[in-house]
Amino acid sequence: MASNTAIAVQHLSKKFSRNLRRSMYYGAVDVFKSMLSIETQTDVLRPDEFWAVNDVSFELKKGGALGVIGENGCGKSTLLRLLNGIYMPDRGMIEIEGRIGALIALGAGFHPLMTGRENIYLNGTILGLSKQELHKNFDEIIDFAEIGEFLDAPVKTYSSGMYVRLGFAIAIHAHPEILLVDEVLAVGDANFQKKCFDKLLRLREEGTSLIFVSHSMSAVERLCTECLLMKHGNPIYYGNTRECVQAYFHEISQDNLAKAPQATLVGIGDVILSNVFVYQENGEKANPNIEFGKNIIIEFKYKFLKKDSMKNQVRLGIRTFEGRDVQKMFFQESPFMDNEIYPNEKIIPLGQDGKVEIRVINPRLFPQTFRLDLAINPVNMDVALGGIANAALFNIVHPSSRQYLEYGNMTVTEFEYEVQVS
Amino acid sequence: MIQNILHSRDLIWQLFKRDFISGYKQSFLGIFWIFIQPLAGILAWVFMNATGILNPGDVGVPYPAYVLLGSSLWGLFMSFYSSVSSSLASGSSLILQVNFPHEALVAQQMAQTIANFLINLVMILILFIIFGIRPTWIAVFFPFTLIPIFLIGSGLGMIVAVITVVVHDINRIVSMGLSFLMFLTPIVYGPGVRGELAQLVIELNPMTYLIGSARDTLLYGRIVNLEAYLLSCLLAASVFLVSWRLFFLSEHKVAEKL
Repeated sequence: MASNTAIAVQHLSKKFSRNLRRSMYYGAVDVFKSMLSIETQTDVLRPDEFWAVNDVSFELKKGGALGVIGENGCGKSTLLRLLNGIYMPDRGMIEIEGRIGALIALGAGFHPLMTGRENIYLNGTILGLSKQELHKNFDEIIDFAEIGEFLDAPVKTYSSGMYVRLGFAIAIHAHPEILLVDEVLAVGDANFQKKCFDKLLRLREEGTSLIFVSHSMSAVERLCTECLLMKHGNPIYYGNTRECVQAYFHEISQDNLAKAPQATLVGIGDVILSNVFVYQENGEKANPNIEFGKNIIIEFKYKFLKKDSMKNQVRLGIRTFEGRDVQKMFFQESPFMDNEIYPNEKIIPLGQDGKVEIRVINPRLFPQTFRLDLAINPVNMDVALGGIANAALFNIVHPSSRQYLEYGNMTVTEFEYEVQVS
Repeated sequence: MIQNILHSRDLIWQLFKRDFISGYKQSFLGIFWIFIQPLAGILAWVFMNATGILNPGDVGVPYPAYVLLGSSLWGLFMSFYSSVSSSLASGSSLILQVNFPHEALVAQQMAQTIANFLINLVMILILFIIFGIRPTWIAVFFPFTLIPIFLIGSGLGMIVAVITVVVHDINRIVSMGLSFLMFLTPIVYGPGVRGELAQLVIELNPMTYLIGSARDTLLYGRIVNLEAYLLSCLLAASVFLVSWRLFFLSEHKVAEKL
């Protein structure tokens, strides 16, 4: 290991069992074997086992900051526990140079009935601080935690924010050379979050190495010098933070497509919609990933089983993946009024059956996943003749991740479109 | 391990203080509970003896003194066992969150057990004075007779602590077995002859000697069956050594099953 390396991890793996009973059985077998000094084969999966962390390697320089990102259950916390020495690796190797500290569970071992002051000593000793160190840092800790006159009140009377603040303050003042941080900035109010974040930045500048697990991509981008993206325990990207964050968003958008909400038929069944496609203009029909700023083609077929003399209207809804309405579009067979309410309305003739192709020009949808709803209604009536909710999903993608971050949910909803009916 | 314990004495002290303080903090009588509990036990036995509910046979000394010393020795054994056996499970949240020497959890529990026993012992010695019992010089060996009790109690505890994490049933089974074992040990009754089978079981039960000899050194100044006692001590020591090895081999494997 090079002298300026803080943590070197090679082929680190850890397996768990999905089945509680099996896990008990395996545990018993393992303990028994180690009792008799029989080597256990730890690098083979037994039935019902899976790799919670699989073949992770990285090297963190002193004073560097590694972000670890990935969706829930991808192995981030297990990785931190391995680094913190709580779990033993099943395979691979961890080399650590320097005193390690963890902001994983803030206020671990706090006793609710004891006062803040008593708990500072208790928690501090659990984290490995000596009495002298605690005495020395005591004022700084209470200063940072901002608990004021609550210092001598039992911590069970604390608000959850105060609780976390105190925990953070103690852990930070253990002055570790390597700090493991697991999504702790999510708690506490905005002010304190900022204070904690600034403290982390300052610690990094002072030479503390950081391993930072977070779902806040903006925090990761600001804090981390390198980044690791995990999925189902596997490292799928390791390197440049910006590219890693992009890869993460790409993963998310592809996952969204995979776990698309069930398309459901709506309406009374007088019309059938089919062959719904959303794709980039001049792009492939089957590819729902649309570059930011490019025109979108929405295409579907319709067939009236029964058509009476009523005027009909095609309704189109675009919603975010979470379900928030973004844009509604209507177009109908003939104008029934002056269209002041829906200035975007187009007038088109709908025959017995046909194909509709809508060209959305300059859509200004921000990069994320969207859902599309389709229906054909009699004009001005809310009962659909037929339609599909969640008819299609599509992603707006952008080569830079920045777009996703702060504006991920913001969408400009004014755009032009053209309609063709064949 | 010893080094580890010495190293984490600050931590042990803090944990000890935490449990000690929190145990009494929300009670009206507070710290007096330390004395009230053994006192209540003493009074119960004295009362039962005085009213003649119990007829334990002749034990040579006032019965309350006999039974109290015996039962608090048994209590010492039991709390060695139970504090060690539950140490991993009860500290599970801490173990999963912070990396610290786990011996501290065990040591802290032991310290607590010993502290409680000492208080208990003081009460019993006061009772001795009231009953006019005078221990002989042999009583200086009494502290040493506690060692095998510690060895077997914590030895059993360590085995169960490890297995319990994996198989929860074991704790219940052993606890059940131990409470039954208490009746097969002459604690509330004297060592006199009863049914043949009972006598055989009592004679084969190592706790008979471990508890009995400790009691007898203080009460009568003698050890009845020295040979059997030494054998039992040997057994206790080997149980302890085996389970110690088990505990340290498996402790880390155990953490992830918590």
